[in-house]
Amino acid sequence: MEKPSPDKFWTWFNPVGRETGGWAFILNRVTALGLTFYLYLHLVILSQLATGPQAYDQFVALMRNPISISAEVLVVAAGIMHGLNGIRIVLTTFGFGVTRQKQLFYGLMALALVIILFFTVRMFTA
Amino acid sequence: MSEKWNITLKVSRQKEGETPHFDEYKMEVDPDEYVLDAVERVWAFMDRTVCFRHACHHSTCGACGMRVNNVEKLTCITSIRDMCQDGGTLKVEPLRNFPVISDLAVDMGSLYNRLEAVGARSVLPVPEAEIEKPASTWDPADQQYIRLADCIECGLCISACPSAATSSGYLGPAVLAGAQANGLKRNPELLQLVDAEDGVWRCHSAFECSAVCPSLVDPARRIMNLRTQVFTERFSRLFHKA
Amino acid sequence: MTQTSVSAKVSGEAYGAPAPKSGENTWLWLLKIVTGPLLVIFLAVHFIVNHYIGETGLLTYKDVVAYYQNPLIPIMEIGFLASVVTHSLLGLRGIILDLKPSRNFLKILDWVFLIAGILIVVYGTWLALTIASRGA
Repeated sequence: MEKPSPDKFWTWFNPVGRETGGWAFILNRVTALGLTFYLYLHLVILSQLATGPQAYDQFVALMRNPISISAEVLVVAAGIMHGLNGIRIVLTTFGFGVTRQKQLFYGLMALALVIILFFTVRMFTA
Repeated sequence: MSEKWNITLKVSRQKEGETPHFDEYKMEVDPDEYVLDAVERVWAFMDRTVCFRHACHHSTCGACGMRVNNVEKLTCITSIRDMCQDGGTLKVEPLRNFPVISDLAVDMGSLYNRLEAVGARSVLPVPEAEIEKPASTWDPADQQYIRLADCIECGLCISACPSAATSSGYLGPAVLAGAQANGLKRNPELLQLVDAEDGVWRCHSAFECSAVCPSLVDPARRIMNLRTQVFTERFSRLFHKA
Repeated sequence: MTQTSVSAKVSGEAYGAPAPKSGENTWLWLLKIVTGPLLVIFLAVHFIVNHYIGETGLLTYKDVVAYYQNPLIPIMEIGFLASVVTHSLLGLRGIILDLKPSRNFLKILDWVFLIAGILIVVYGTWLALTIASRGA
């Protein structure tokens, strides 16, 4: 039986000597961890809804500052990148576009950039 | 007359268990020489203690895989021109994810054992050597001709794979590619081995294996095909008891 | 070649030793890869609704409650939550699995994740139903 290897945790995030597919993998893991953290934070915060209008509206008002909105943009960006890259993973897993995975990645990330910019503008101006 | 470049060759040095350090060797080379030629020149004229593996010098034996400027290369077919410039530095390190025996030589035993365990064939009928070609489309006439498998067992894919970096138990790209070529239909006993955490599911689609493969095996594509084979097999076993 | 000898050869263990039970299989992977595309759809709806309902999106308690009056919304949100919790826990499990945890650790982890997942979905369902009932 092999020994557990938590000391190798950081080897995933080493971008040296990697290329497109490897960077996509790193991006996917980083966004996955970020989104997981946000998801459970989000669920805890939403419990404010149960306590009534005052608590929730106060909290929302508190969050309407540039720093919080920037953090939210980061979450939205992570979600979009993880989701679109996920589409690439699903397609290639089932044998579609495996030989075109690089083009697929760049195409989807270009699309992600457009959507992220769109939401960024919207979130800062709304 | 041939072109001359002055380069610095940085060679990773370590004996088993030691922390590696770099030794630098300045030399004059023809940029169209191969990286392996430069390493051999160090051994021939500068330092007899440099240890590295090499044999055929024409990309058939798979012995001379190293990391050149951080990227896995078969050094006998990687020209110096492609890796650096005149006056530049060429950094040569042993493959990752294998135990280093000495300097640039690694112990590839795990790869060979695993290839044997999945029954990877080095010679196979011509139609079976192709990726994703279902048995139903094989021309029986072609079945009589055999050829060498594409995989030269150089281990570059294992070295480049981020999943192999975290889990040494992972079968790895070359091995799963060998299993794919064998096929689950003909070798049902492989299912248990590849439908496992150390089998096809450890692959996280980084596609680094296919990027570094010097022999057009395209291991990532073969792993994806093997996944489809695993799905198909598991689904059919739901309805027909094996 | 028997199954045990194949696994034993690969793991370098003595021939004949029983192969350790695998921590990953087709069905777990399938669950992750099916919830993935579902989440893309749910998330698209979630983003668009949160930012485009009304003038500014759902920014006040009143807006949220009004939005939840359509019975399809709580159903969708609960489906979204179940998918996202499944996907995230399986993903996290996959990352931990790469670090070669011991079989005992993995067994405990599986129970913790299963119970935590169920509790989170129950909590989410309660929350969604509570909000929906406030408008009545």
